[in-house]
Amino acid sequence: MFSRLRIAPRLALLTLLGCTLVLGAITGSCYLFGSRQIEKETEEKAKSLAVGTANRIETVQRGVEKVVRASASRIEDGERSPERVRMILSRAVGENPEISGAAFAYAPETTSGGMRLAAPYVYRSGGRLAFKDLGAGRYRYDVWDWYTLPRDLGRPVWSEPYFDEGDGGALMVTYSVPVFDVPGADRKLVGVITCHVSLDWLTDLLRSIRFAETGYAFLVSRTGAYICHPRKDFVVRETLFSAAETNHRPELRAVARRMITGESGFIPLRNLVSQQPSHMAFAPVPSTGWSVSIIVTDAELLAPVISLSRSVALVGIVGFALLLLITLLIARSITRPLRELDAATEVLAKGDLDAPLPAIPGNDEVAHLSKSFTHMRTELKRSMEELRATTAAKQKIESELEIARSIQMSLVPRTFPAFPDRPEFDLYAELHPARAIGGDFYDFFMLDRHRICLAIGDVSDKGVPAALFMAVVRTFLKAIWRDEESPAATLRKLNNELALDNDSTMFVTLLCAVVDLRDGSMRYACGGHNLPFLISPDGEVHQVRRLKGVPVGAMEEMLFEEGSESLRTGDVFFLYTDGATEAMNGAGELFGDDRLEGELKRCAGSTGMKELVQGVRGAVESFADGAEQSDDLTLVAFRFTGPRRF
Amino acid sequence: MFPFLRTLTAAMIMLLLLPAAASWAAPPPDAAQVSVSLQWVPQSQFAGYYLALDKGFYRKRGLDVTVLHSGPELNSMDRLAEGTAHFATTFLTSALQRRNSGLAMVNIAQIVNRSTAMLVARKKSGIRSLRDLNGRRVSLWAGDFTVPFEAVLSSHGISPGRRFVQNYSVALFLHNGVDACSAMYYNEYHMLYQAGLDEDELITFPLEKYGCNVPEDGIYCLEKTWKATPRRCRDFAEATMEGWRYARAHPEEALDSVMRRVTSARIPTNRAHMKWMLEKILPGILAGPGDAWKAGVLSRSDYARAVGLMKKQGLIRNAPEYHSFHPMGAGNVQ
Repeated sequence: MFSRLRIAPRLALLTLLGCTLVLGAITGSCYLFGSRQIEKETEEKAKSLAVGTANRIETVQRGVEKVVRASASRIEDGERSPERVRMILSRAVGENPEISGAAFAYAPETTSGGMRLAAPYVYRSGGRLAFKDLGAGRYRYDVWDWYTLPRDLGRPVWSEPYFDEGDGGALMVTYSVPVFDVPGADRKLVGVITCHVSLDWLTDLLRSIRFAETGYAFLVSRTGAYICHPRKDFVVRETLFSAAETNHRPELRAVARRMITGESGFIPLRNLVSQQPSHMAFAPVPSTGWSVSIIVTDAELLAPVISLSRSVALVGIVGFALLLLITLLIARSITRPLRELDAATEVLAKGDLDAPLPAIPGNDEVAHLSKSFTHMRTELKRSMEELRATTAAKQKIESELEIARSIQMSLVPRTFPAFPDRPEFDLYAELHPARAIGGDFYDFFMLDRHRICLAIGDVSDKGVPAALFMAVVRTFLKAIWRDEESPAATLRKLNNELALDNDSTMFVTLLCAVVDLRDGSMRYACGGHNLPFLISPDGEVHQVRRLKGVPVGAMEEMLFEEGSESLRTGDVFFLYTDGATEAMNGAGELFGDDRLEGELKRCAGSTGMKELVQGVRGAVESFADGAEQSDDLTLVAFRFTGPRRF
Repeated sequence: MFPFLRTLTAAMIMLLLLPAAASWAAPPPDAAQVSVSLQWVPQSQFAGYYLALDKGFYRKRGLDVTVLHSGPELNSMDRLAEGTAHFATTFLTSALQRRNSGLAMVNIAQIVNRSTAMLVARKKSGIRSLRDLNGRRVSLWAGDFTVPFEAVLSSHGISPGRRFVQNYSVALFLHNGVDACSAMYYNEYHMLYQAGLDEDELITFPLEKYGCNVPEDGIYCLEKTWKATPRRCRDFAEATMEGWRYARAHPEEALDSVMRRVTSARIPTNRAHMKWMLEKILPGILAGPGDAWKAGVLSRSDYARAVGLMKKQGLIRNAPEYHSFHPMGAGNVQ
């Protein structure tokens, strides 16, 4: 993605990216360590607050317990008359402002008239002490926990908290102590003394506990019932367990079980007031089995760390902006000469080698690059000059070659029909050099009125040397042939002539034939050349007999065999060079003798020799299918159309 | 003023006012003034009565109903005997005992047709079977409620070491004052759960599995009330059953109705508990697909079994004929 950007922004971006990672790591670790530290501190603070609160509650409750137990001892010691009991109760309430009321419930006496209940009750009312008997009326104290629990358990009991409808719905809790007649196993219950204590001070205490803005404290009883909670509708009615059930929070239940079994701890959880992630510290109140909890939301807990992280991030961002600016400036100062160089090379590329290149001072990479460019331009200019000269020279050679080619082509007869006054035969030939000029050649001429000479040759090389050699061969051949008349003798003599002082060791494959137009008899000799084909009018194709003979011009004093054939009317004598059979296609396959023979069969019915030659040439070309012509291609076709009738 | 006295008084006053507050339209002038004494404090156990009242099922039958609540200290049957309530609810076993001791009353509808009472113990206390309760401390509800428990204990030859009277709360059990306590599956069992005891910490002995599958809550009235106003009795029973069907179809509305009364009466309970109670009690009131009993009807066989069980335990000596105890008979209430 970066490779599409220019250097300056890319450099700036990558630098920025690296810095972001570093800053992220710094901010992250800052947050992590900070939050751990704060969590630790909060844990200490919350725990000590919870324990401190628990202790305060404990202190008050121990005070109440002491008063109630002292009163119980007095009753146990024999002060059981209603008057004495009332006095003891009045004292307990009057001298202890935290006690709102006290009662002594006598164990019910079963009499003949039914059950007799008596429970003197002293309580505060409008700043004064009031009295009543709870046993009078329909109220049956013997079915309520405050009476039955100490009776059945045989020990003092703190009740679950409850709302007293009397004094404005105050939250109350009672402490009840059973009084027995005889200590020991057979003890008989005299009654239960109970004091009830308003928990308003506790509610106020817990409400005053503020942990940051939204932190709060709550208190639960030994069964998990809420005693104090910011949600007033929870108090007494809900328990930790019912809250867990209502909110489908099994993990809350697990915590609640720890709390009611007197454990203390500091745990993360979502609080039930704002449902935010929070931490809770809890500690037990041993005397009652209650548990105090302090809850603080994580958002607030971590507020200092978050603010610190925010500052770090802010400083980082400002730093980034500066860094970005500086990086851009540096990058631009580096890339400015590069851009100038870029503009100059663009002009250079268009061919204006004289356009000025920017002068870049200094000794850095860019200055070096600029110098290299200058050097490159000088070199380029020089080589352009050279190229121009070379091209001119080459053009001269090419034009000379063109002339050579036209001379070479003019060396072979190219006018067809060659002998319009001779109806005995039809003759056509083509030469296609592989390069501008080639080493192939063909020739024909009338030896006398009745005999025609046909020759085809292939010099062992191509190009100018071959063409020159070919010119020599042709000249010699024509001269010798007129003297010797026999093809074999001609070849032998030609061989000796050429081999003599042949420093270039060039040679030529050659096939010569003489056809007597009176009867179609033909004599021929072959100097290492491809064997020509004979095609009869009915489409039969065969090669002429192979004769002894080596390529001409290589060695002196070589002998050449002479063969003869008899051409009947309509027979075609077809000569060619290896440019036909060794034509190659793209796959490296050769055209070959068989394909040539097949092609000749196909073209056997051609009306004229021109069509035959062109047909074969077309076949070779389409076989090569655009592959470069590797050798000169020469095709000569001669049809004997019968002796001349006079 | 002493707390619980206040609680009770306030609850009673409030409950007297409730019908007026709940009925948004005044009852027709010729409406019959009747009262029903329910056997416990306001809770989902009585959702059907509340809805019959709130939705006007009583009123449309010409009944102007006052709902009264009772408890361990004030027995609903006593109200019936005293004549302070026209109708009262209680367990079948309790009713049979009352009848045996001479209170001439009849069953006009059997509301809870299955036993949901049980004994609960902590597994930790080593109790694995009912027999393990021998010699242990057990708390049982007093008065009429104790009958089915006594029946199960005596029929299995179990004598607890010490019996405690259980009242409103399960505090004694929570304080480890007893090894086992009586519980209704729909109420006390879940109270224990809400006090932090996990279900797998407890072992339960449902009475129905120990040969005491006797119906529980039924509506009763004095025989003379039935004879004088059979139509009114029938209407009351039918309206109550309609209330229950409505409660099943609209559980949240039923809970709202219950919670209103719970809050007014300052009962220290919560919606989660009331929800549990409603869910657990409904299957025993409105028959499901495989139940052999019919909603609102005391089946003859259940009656016979209850009578047999109690006679065997010597809890009663005589019992009336099925039809004279449940004169509306099968199929009369739906």
